[in-house]
Amino acid sequence: MINPWEIIKKIGFIFLSGLVALILWQSFTSLSDIPSFIFPTPFEVWEKFLSVTKDGSLLFHTLITLQEVLLGLTLGLSAAIITGYFLAKSRLVERVLSPYIVASQSIPIVAIAPLLVIWLGPGILSKILTSALIVFFPVLVNTIVGLRSVPKELYDLLKSLQANPWQRIFKLEIPAAMPVFLGGLRIGATLAVIGAVVGEFVGADKGLGFLVSVGRGLYDTSLVFVAVFTLVVLALGLYGSVVFLESRLLSWQKENNGQ
Amino acid sequence: MKKKIGLILILLVMLVTACSGQTPVQQASGELTHIRLPMGYIPNVQYAPFYTAVEKGFFTEVGIELEFDYSYETDGVALVGAEELHFSIVSGEQVPIARAEGLPIVYVLAWYEKYPIVVISRTEQNILNPEDLVGKRVALPGLFGANYVGLRALMGEVNIAESDLTLESVGFNQVEILAAGTSDAIVGYLANEPVQLSALGYDLNLILVADYLDLVSNGLITNEKTISENPDLVRRMVSASLKGIQYTVENPEEAFEFCKKYVEGLEDADLDVQMEVLLTSIELYQTDPYGYSQPEAWSTMQDVLIKMELMKKEINLDDAYTNEFSQ
Repeated sequence: MINPWEIIKKIGFIFLSGLVALILWQSFTSLSDIPSFIFPTPFEVWEKFLSVTKDGSLLFHTLITLQEVLLGLTLGLSAAIITGYFLAKSRLVERVLSPYIVASQSIPIVAIAPLLVIWLGPGILSKILTSALIVFFPVLVNTIVGLRSVPKELYDLLKSLQANPWQRIFKLEIPAAMPVFLGGLRIGATLAVIGAVVGEFVGADKGLGFLVSVGRGLYDTSLVFVAVFTLVVLALGLYGSVVFLESRLLSWQKENNGQ
Repeated sequence: MKKKIGLILILLVMLVTACSGQTPVQQASGELTHIRLPMGYIPNVQYAPFYTAVEKGFFTEVGIELEFDYSYETDGVALVGAEELHFSIVSGEQVPIARAEGLPIVYVLAWYEKYPIVVISRTEQNILNPEDLVGKRVALPGLFGANYVGLRALMGEVNIAESDLTLESVGFNQVEILAAGTSDAIVGYLANEPVQLSALGYDLNLILVADYLDLVSNGLITNEKTISENPDLVRRMVSASLKGIQYTVENPEEAFEFCKKYVEGLEDADLDVQMEVLLTSIELYQTDPYGYSQPEAWSTMQDVLIKMELMKKEINLDDAYTNEFSQ
């Protein structure tokens, strides 16, 4: 049974720490006499937030980035799960593909993002792919680890029950690999935001990454802060969604543990 | 023991004094004043006047030791505006935009006379005038900076709205984009993209912004504090830079040789193409008289920026530039 006081205390603590951070920020900017183009005050950032909310531009750019992130995440997840399954199941496939997959991770995403713009054009596709590429590896690794962590005895049990391959996947492998896979998804969800923004930095005329570039180009640091905070909220929202999903999908685990 | 503590205290005081008594980037090195100069772009033959001025000793003659910094243009402007650095090389439109946001920067030397932005298309597109851009896909690095301002200024001159054409933000990949044919035209610098594309064998049509209106182009900025507290430094910096520009105009081959020391890979590049980049740049320089800022160009630039909504309010242009140090 969840104690409502615990929740109130938790929210109160978050609110209080946020308030303290705002007071410190305001004091720092007021006392240090730093110009607003270097470090704006919370009030200036709030004013900018209201202005871009009122004219609808913040919502517009946020929805564009969210679209890129969700599509990139879907693409990256799909590719990672399918590849991860085959890598986990076949040592031969793993031996052949692993060196290339690991080597590909040493390529900085910022180095290939401009090439994606050239190959795929300046539209949304290059941003989706940038996002998918950055999501791919952590999800892939966790998929492999998750599938390989399934106890051999459970395979034997399903075999003795004459389960077919689909039953083996849906009744055993997916549930057993789910905790580790969701761990990878937590990382992937936040990385997807970074991927989309990197794509937008390289060449875009919409999205929160574009808004950051405009803010920098116009020396409007308050706008940069608004865009960055929105990105943080977006990443936290995605992370929270995965945590929520985890609590739903893994409720059986808690029940089994008697919690 | 007391002696030791005293010594440590003295050392600490000396350390604190040393740290607070100078800006982090400005140190005296012997009798030379160390200046870090943000260039706004990667090492390139287009910076020949500054490489030349260093190699010919024009900066050391006036007591300046120059260090090149190839960070982003906007970072250079912000650092000068924040009084962290004394000087930066910037494109002219940055000055009114930055001043409108409260950055106390001042343009003290006009390096280029003509705004170097050009619309480039392959001849088969038949884009000969700005009006021909209507309905076309035009690629540019982004919807900010000199490329965007130049294109919008050009469109404004012939009353084309942004909605009349499709602008595509492609980063600094314009050459590849035009070569691949994914856009109908690109926006770039006269001395860069057209030279590269011509060398690749493409026949091009060019629409130079400077043929339609005068805008403030690349130059040297400082901040109000440096002008008021150290005008002599500004004068020395401007005079050495001007000597470098003049020497490059008169001796382009020698200036090109100096570039080899600063531009990595230049020796292995197509030297004819790179020489062409330099010669095309030189054609854009402010030479009559050297370094002079045209007041009309500032006024036009401000009008364009306000029309584009890159500036919300007018600024006093007399504070934004001065010809005091270049004449």
